[in-house]
Amino acid sequence: MDDFVVEMKNIVKNFGQVHAIKNGQFSLRKGEIHSLVGENGAGKSTMMNILYGIYQRDSGSIAIKGKQMEKIVPKTAIENGIGMVHQDFMLINDLSVLENIILGWEPRKHLEIDFAKAEKDIRYYIDNYNMEIQPEKRINQISVGEAQRVEIIKTLYRGADILILDEPTAILTPQECEKFFEILNNLKKDGKSVIFISHKLNEVMEISDRITVMRQGQYVATVNRADTNTKELAKMMVGREVFLNIERKKANVGKTVLSVDNLWTSGEKELSKIRGISLDVHAGEIVGIAGVDGNGQTEFIEAITGLRKVERGKVMLNGKDVTNLSPKKIRETGLAHIPEDRNSRGLNRQMNIMENIVAVKLNQKPYTNGAKINVKPIRDFSEKLIHKFDIRPDIPEMCTKTLSGGNAQKIVVAREVDADKDLLIAAQPSRGVDIGAIESIRNVLNEEKQKGKAILLVSADLQEVLSLSDRIAVMYDGKIVGIISAKDANENNVGVLMMGGTLQHDKTDEGSAAS
Amino acid sequence: MNTNAKNYRQKIINLLITVVISMLVGAVLIGVLGNNPWQAYGALFQGAFVGKLNFGTTLANFAPLLLTAYAFIIPADASFFNCGVEGELYLGAITAAFVGYNFKGLPGPLHIVLCFLCAMIVGALWSLIPAVLKVRWNVNEVCVTILMNYVAMYIASYLVNGPMSAKTGTAQTPAVADNTQLAKFLVPSQANTGIFIAIAVTIFLYWMMNHSTVGYEIRSVGQNPHFSEYIGISPVKSMVNSMLISGAIGGMTGCIFVLGVYGYFLDNFSMGIAFNGMLAALIVGNDYKLTPFLAFFIAALQSGAQGMERNTGVPKSIVDVIISIFIIFATMEALFSFLSKKKKNSTAKSQSNTHHKEAES
Amino acid sequence: MNFGKIFDYTLIYSTIRYSTPILFAALAATITQQADILNIGTEGIMLISAFVSVCVSYYSGSWFLAILAAMVIGVLMAMIMAVANLKCKADICAIGMAINMFALAVTKFGIKQFLGTTGTFTDPKIVGVPKIHIPAFDNIPFLNKTFNNWSFMEVFGIVLVFILYHILYRTVWGLRLRSVGRFPMAAETAGINVTKMKYEVMIISGIIGGLAGAHLSLGYTQMFTENMTNGRGFMGVAAMYFGGMNPVVAWIGCLLFGFTDTVGNRLQGYGWPSQFVLMLPYIITILVVSISLWRHTVSEKKLKSSVIPAKKVKKGGMV
Repeated sequence: MDDFVVEMKNIVKNFGQVHAIKNGQFSLRKGEIHSLVGENGAGKSTMMNILYGIYQRDSGSIAIKGKQMEKIVPKTAIENGIGMVHQDFMLINDLSVLENIILGWEPRKHLEIDFAKAEKDIRYYIDNYNMEIQPEKRINQISVGEAQRVEIIKTLYRGADILILDEPTAILTPQECEKFFEILNNLKKDGKSVIFISHKLNEVMEISDRITVMRQGQYVATVNRADTNTKELAKMMVGREVFLNIERKKANVGKTVLSVDNLWTSGEKELSKIRGISLDVHAGEIVGIAGVDGNGQTEFIEAITGLRKVERGKVMLNGKDVTNLSPKKIRETGLAHIPEDRNSRGLNRQMNIMENIVAVKLNQKPYTNGAKINVKPIRDFSEKLIHKFDIRPDIPEMCTKTLSGGNAQKIVVAREVDADKDLLIAAQPSRGVDIGAIESIRNVLNEEKQKGKAILLVSADLQEVLSLSDRIAVMYDGKIVGIISAKDANENNVGVLMMGGTLQHDKTDEGSAAS
Repeated sequence: MNTNAKNYRQKIINLLITVVISMLVGAVLIGVLGNNPWQAYGALFQGAFVGKLNFGTTLANFAPLLLTAYAFIIPADASFFNCGVEGELYLGAITAAFVGYNFKGLPGPLHIVLCFLCAMIVGALWSLIPAVLKVRWNVNEVCVTILMNYVAMYIASYLVNGPMSAKTGTAQTPAVADNTQLAKFLVPSQANTGIFIAIAVTIFLYWMMNHSTVGYEIRSVGQNPHFSEYIGISPVKSMVNSMLISGAIGGMTGCIFVLGVYGYFLDNFSMGIAFNGMLAALIVGNDYKLTPFLAFFIAALQSGAQGMERNTGVPKSIVDVIISIFIIFATMEALFSFLSKKKKNSTAKSQSNTHHKEAES
Repeated sequence: MNFGKIFDYTLIYSTIRYSTPILFAALAATITQQADILNIGTEGIMLISAFVSVCVSYYSGSWFLAILAAMVIGVLMAMIMAVANLKCKADICAIGMAINMFALAVTKFGIKQFLGTTGTFTDPKIVGVPKIHIPAFDNIPFLNKTFNNWSFMEVFGIVLVFILYHILYRTVWGLRLRSVGRFPMAAETAGINVTKMKYEVMIISGIIGGLAGAHLSLGYTQMFTENMTNGRGFMGVAAMYFGGMNPVVAWIGCLLFGFTDTVGNRLQGYGWPSQFVLMLPYIITILVVSISLWRHTVSEKKLKSSVIPAKKVKKGGMV
C-alpha cells in the first residue's frame, strides 16, 4: 500500500450553473513534488481550494494521511498539516511580517503575545531553509518575492508538512525561479510534500516527480515526470495538438504614433515607480513590454492613458501632447486600451453586455440624442459586435457578472478594437482566459497590426511577448533596461534583463541598459 | 436597462411583509398602553384621508418627503451617502425667505422663480463642500454631512433671530411678498401648489436618472468608479454633479416650505423631514419607482398620527416608533431571503473580497 | 475681551469634562472600526442609554444600577445592528441611521410615557455618578480646580483609552481583530471566526456606548433632554477617523473638540451670539477630520511619488 498523504476521489463541485469540477482525482505521496496542471478553467485551483477547505465539495471523498475527512475548513486542513500559498497572497498590508506569520497561532504570555518567542521561532525557519525575510517590516514595504517567502514560512510555522503552491512562479523572473526551486528541494529533503499548481510546462518538467493533468473539470491522467514531455502534457491539457507559437507576421513600420519622453510617475511600491522611461511605438508594429509583474508596467500604462498623474516628462500621441490630459481626451486623440484588470477597469460587472460594449461611444449619435439615451441603436450595435467576436451568451441584456473570463475579455477587446484608434494598448490580454479565446485575441492583435495600428503589448507571459512582438522592451525597477528586436530576442537574454542583469554582448537597440 | 423582474416582485413582497409586521408590533404597543389597536388604526386612517384638513396634511407631508428622498437617492447612486439634506433644506428656506421679502417690486411669477433659483443655488453650493472633501481627501461623507446639518441650522437660526428677524417675538422672518406665495388648497391644511411642482420635478429627475447620459454616468460611477474613469467618465465630476443636484433639490424643498406653507421662514420648522425622506429611500433600497409610494405611505402615517392622538389619546410618537421599527426591518434585505429558499451558493459569495470572481479554475 | 479669563488653568478640567462623552463615543466607534464596521449608530445608542440610565436612577435611586442598565440597553441596540448587518445583510450606515431614528422616537415616546413630561426631565431624586473627592487638594486652587471632584466616568474614560490600546496592539485577541478588519479572508484561513469577532466587537461597542450615554445624563448633571446627544456620537466617529483607529490619537481628537466646546462657551459670555458658539464644535470637527485626511492623502502621495526620494522606514509594524 503506497503511503499517500492525500487522496481525493470522485470529487464533484458546482458553483450554481457552473460545473467547476465534474470528476476530480488526485493523490499525493509523501516526500514528492507533484504538479497539478491544466489551462485556466481546468479546475486545478478549485481542487486544491477544496482540499484546503475554502470550498466544500458536493460529493466525493478526501483522505488526509489515511484519515477520511468529512467536512474540511481551513482550520482542519491546517491541523492536519496542510498549508496553502495562494496566487493572491493572504497577507495583511498594514501589519508586520511577524504579525502576519503568527496570526492565529500566536505564542502567548497569558492573554498577550510573546513577541520575543515569535521572533525566535521565525528566525529558525529563516536559517533552516535559507529564506531571507525581515520580520519587523510591514507587508506593504517588502518585495513580492519576499512576500512569497513570508507566505511559505507562514505555512511552515503553522506546522504544515504538505504544501500547496498555487501558480507560485507567476510573479518570479526565470532567475528567481531557480532560487525558488532550490527552496522547494530543501523542503523535499526535509520530508515535506509539495503540490505545485501551474500551467508553465517547462517548470513543471524541471521540478516535478509526478504530474496530474486536468481538463475542463475532469481528471485526465497522472504520469511520472520521467515518462513524459511538454508536448505530451500540452496535448493532454488541451486535447489537441497545440501550436503554442503563433506565427509572427512581418511588420510594415510607419510613422511614430506614441512617443514617451523621460516619463516619471508615482508607483504603488518603490520598485514600480517610473523614473525616466522613453519609448516610441510606430504604426504597423507591435512593441511588447516584458517584465515581471510589479516593475511599473501598470503605472506606466496608467500614466500614458491618463489614469495616473505624470510627474515629469511628456507623452505625445499622434503628434499631440497628451501629458496629463483626461482619459476621455486621450482616447479621443487616438487611444484604445485593453486594461490588465478587466473586472475593475475593463468592465462594469453590474451592467449588462450592451451597456459595457457601447460605453466608449455612448455620447455619440445615434446612441444618444443630446442627453437622451436611445436603446435600440445600442442593442443593434451590441449584437453586431457579439457575433463578430463570438461572445457567449449572445444576449445583449445579459448581466456581465457571471460571464467567464474569456467572454468578458472578448467584450473588452470588441469594444476597444471597434473604436478603431491609432494606438491600441493591450495589457495582460490573455490573463485568466481559456486557450480558445487566447488564440482569437492574439489573432486580433496581429490583424490590427496588419491594418497599420500601433500596438503596445504588456505581458508577464514571456512566451506571449516573444511570439507577438516586433520589438521587445524589458522593464525592471521602473525603467526600460533594454530594447531588443524580435530576431535577436530569446527567453534567455530577455529573462536576464527582466532580473535587472546585463547582457554580455550589447544586443540592445536603444534605451538605458544598465552596464 | 438592466432589470430583473423576479427580484423586483420579491422586493415588493418583502416590503409589504415588513409593513404588516411593523403595524403588528405597533398594535401590540398600543394595546400595552391600554388602547384598542383597531380603534387607534381606524383613527389613524381617518386622520390621514378623511376630510380636507387630514387629506391636505397628507399631501403637504408627501411633497417634501418625496423630494428629500430623491435628494438622497441621487448621490447614493454615485455611492455617496448624503445625510445633509436637512441642512440644504434650511439654507434653501432662509434664502427663499430673504429673496421673498426683499425685491418686493418684481412681478409675481418672476419673483417666485427668483426665490426658487436662489434657494437651489445656495443648496447646491452647500452640498459642494462635503462633495469636494470626499473627492479630494476621501473624508467620510456620513460624518461630515450630519455635522454640517447642525451648522446649517445654526446659521439659519442666527439669521432669523438676528439680522433677518421680523421682530415679532417668535423667531421668524418678515413675510414674503404676497405674489410669491404659492396658492393653497384644501384649506385649512398646509397643502399648496408646491406639491405639483414637487411631483413635476420628481418625474423629471426620474427620467434624468434612468434615461439620460447624466444618470448613466452617475450610476456608472457608483457601481464601478475605476471602470468609469477608464472609459472616460470622470468620477469626480459625476459625484460632484450628483451632490449639486441633491443640493438644488433640498434647497427647492426649503423654498416650497417658505413660499407654500408658512409665507416666512420659521426657526426650526423642520423636525427632521429630510431624515424621513432618507428613510423612505433606504426602506425601498434607493429605488426610484417605489420611493413615491413609500413617501406617500409615511406621509399618511404622519398626518394620521395627529388625528389618532386627537381622537384616541394614543401619543403621536408611537407612529414614529412604528416607522423606525419599519426601517430597521426594511434594512435587513436578507431577512426574507432566508425565509424564501434562495439557491445561492453562500460559500462562493462570501469569498470575494472586492469584486466578483470569475467562474473558472 | 479678557484673554486671561478665557484661557486660564480651569480650561484643563473643562476640556476633560466636555470631551468625555465624545471620548466614550469615539472609543465605541474605534473598536468596531478595527473590524471594519462603521458604527454610525453610536449616537442612537448613547441617546437611548442616557434615557434609560435617568429612568433607572430615578426609580431605583442607584447610580450603579443605572450604569448597568445603560450597558445592557447599549448591548441590546448594538446586537440589533449586528444581527441586521451580519446576518440580514443590512447596509451598516442604513441600520446605524435606523437605530438613531429609533432612539429619537423611543426616547421622545418614553419621556412622556415613563417620566410624565416632554422636553427635559430633571428631578432631585435622580442619583448621579459620584465624584472622586480628594480632600488633600481642597486648599490648593490649581489642584482643586484641575484634579479634584472628577466624575468617576471621566477617570475611567482615560483609563479605557490605554486599556484599549494595550488590547489592540499587545494581545492575541487584538491582533486577530485587526486582521479581521483589514483582510477577513486571511483571518478566516488563519482559523479565526470573523463573524464571531464582529459580534464580540459590537457587544463591546454597545457597552462603551451605554457608558457614554450614562455619563451624558448622570455624569455631571442629572437630567435627560430630548435629543441630548445632539451630534456628539457623530463627533466621536469623527474623532475615530482623526485617530486612524488608534485609541490614543482619537483621544487627542476628543480633547480638541472638548477644548473648542469649552472656549466657545466662555466666549458666549462676551457677547458672541449663541448660535456661533453652538456651531463651533461642529465646524472644528469638520475641519479637524478634513485636515487629518488631507495630511493622510498628502503623505500617501509622497510615499508613492517618483520624484521624492525614499525615506528610511520606521521599525516595528505598530502604529
